[in-house]
Amino acid sequence: MASVVAAKPAAAPLSGDRARSRRIVDRIATASLWTAASAVVAMLIAFVIYVFVQGYSAISWHFLTGYPQSAVAGGGVGPEIFNSFYILLLTLCFTLPIAVLAGVFLQEYAGPGRFRDLVQFSAESLATVPSIVMGLFGLIVFVQLFHWHFTALGGALTLTLLNLPAMMRVTQESLAGVPNTYREASMALGATKWQSVLRAILPSAIGPLTTGVVLVSGRIFGETAALIFTAGSSVSFGASAYDFNPFHTAETLAVHLYSTQREALVPDATQIANGSALVLLVMVLLFNVVARIVGRQLTQRFTGKAS
Amino acid sequence: MVEPQQSRLPALRSKMKIDDLNVYYGSFHAMKHASLDVPDRHVMALIGPSGCGKSTFLRALNRMHDLTPGARVTGTVTLDGNDIYAPGIDPVTVRHRIGMVFQRPNPFPKSIYENVVYGPKIHGEGNAKRLAEICERSLRAAALWDEAKDRLHRSALDLSGGQQQRLCIARVLAVEPEVILMDEPASALDPIATSKIEDLIGELKKDYTVIIVTHSMQQAARISDFTTFFLLGDLIEVGTTSEIFTRPTDKRTEDYITGRYG
Repeated sequence: MASVVAAKPAAAPLSGDRARSRRIVDRIATASLWTAASAVVAMLIAFVIYVFVQGYSAISWHFLTGYPQSAVAGGGVGPEIFNSFYILLLTLCFTLPIAVLAGVFLQEYAGPGRFRDLVQFSAESLATVPSIVMGLFGLIVFVQLFHWHFTALGGALTLTLLNLPAMMRVTQESLAGVPNTYREASMALGATKWQSVLRAILPSAIGPLTTGVVLVSGRIFGETAALIFTAGSSVSFGASAYDFNPFHTAETLAVHLYSTQREALVPDATQIANGSALVLLVMVLLFNVVARIVGRQLTQRFTGKAS
Repeated sequence: MVEPQQSRLPALRSKMKIDDLNVYYGSFHAMKHASLDVPDRHVMALIGPSGCGKSTFLRALNRMHDLTPGARVTGTVTLDGNDIYAPGIDPVTVRHRIGMVFQRPNPFPKSIYENVVYGPKIHGEGNAKRLAEICERSLRAAALWDEAKDRLHRSALDLSGGQQQRLCIARVLAVEPEVILMDEPASALDPIATSKIEDLIGELKKDYTVIIVTHSMQQAARISDFTTFFLLGDLIEVGTTSEIFTRPTDKRTEDYITGRYG
């Protein structure tokens, strides 16, 4: 075309080859996206069914509450379930205050600058450490250097290191979702920064914050590698295996699953492992469901939003 | 500074005096050498085209620029003769005495009651009976009591936009400020809600000094006693509202009033 002025394009045809082929491409794309999304759901369902079929025959009241056995069949996982919750609780006690305060600092207080970059960089680096490496660090520091041996506390502190970055990120993102107008409104009413954080900003973020915390809790609950060498792979030998002493060894359910499968002498090791896997899976799924429900409830309660 | 326009204001007690105010965002000089006396218990409207600096000027009056990274303010702003930018002055106490209502209604995601008593609570009022009194008084003063009294503990976010804005005004009144700054408080509202806000401003000036930014000249004409015109970061002219709208002294004011700046 020699003409500099572009010719007026022809009106788009209402039908014809071009329109048809575009419609076909659109359908193929829709179908592919739908298939990919369905595959995710299908995999989850298949996985749950598999674990359920494998494990359900092992489940009994005795299995859920009984003590583990070291040489004969018929051992339970009661103390392991207890230990999983106990270590989770200890971990949250350490993680939450540090992570929330650090997250508030980064999101609300720190202006751009070296210190904020340093904290952010440290958190991101910490987040990339594989859990087995963190476990070995815990082994060296808590077990050997402090001479604690395998303890619930050592395990919880190791998990704290492992999950601080995620918890901090959860806090930051929850706060980032709070509209700036709330901050302005609060400050304009003569609130100090800390009052604004405490009374306006954190309460507005309570829903996503809780959801995030419970989701991270699910991960802590299922963590294995970091605990094998720190909390140990046997339950407490104290008066009861249900033991609140943080300086006693405390094998969690996830570690039990691993150690039973790997090194147990009991004849029903596979069955116990399958049963443990099922219990673990159900617990972690529960965490996810609870996270959503509690998050929604708290949002409603603190914000009065009828959603 | 030569301020010939100031002489046109009737002799009234000044609540706030602004002298040689400059605001910078980084290297951008957003407000240049503005000086203004704000009479006590009257409504002062700040008008001008978008980007003229009227909001920038307003936010300097309760030190909101302290919260904006990179913003810098010079000059003096006095409240009853005390410089709010003097060293040792806590911006938090300044904002306690000079309240602010924003362009978009911004109630907290809490109940109506919790919104109103937010200020009194942070200033240390813990008595439930007194808080309830403050809540009722403030909602009445903001002409929202009748609509809100049966749903005080329901979410403020369920209110309409106009009700939310009156709630925000009630929330400001609850901390008993002396000056109320309003940044286009009706620009996000429909005409009926707007007229309610305007009526309310007429009531408020009996007890408060109101400084209001508005993009609507009709609104300025309806509600204000005095009007200040800004253009491109300069304070051009101030006078009684009727003077500004009928006999402006500056050509630029006249051009704006007659619609030549869009």
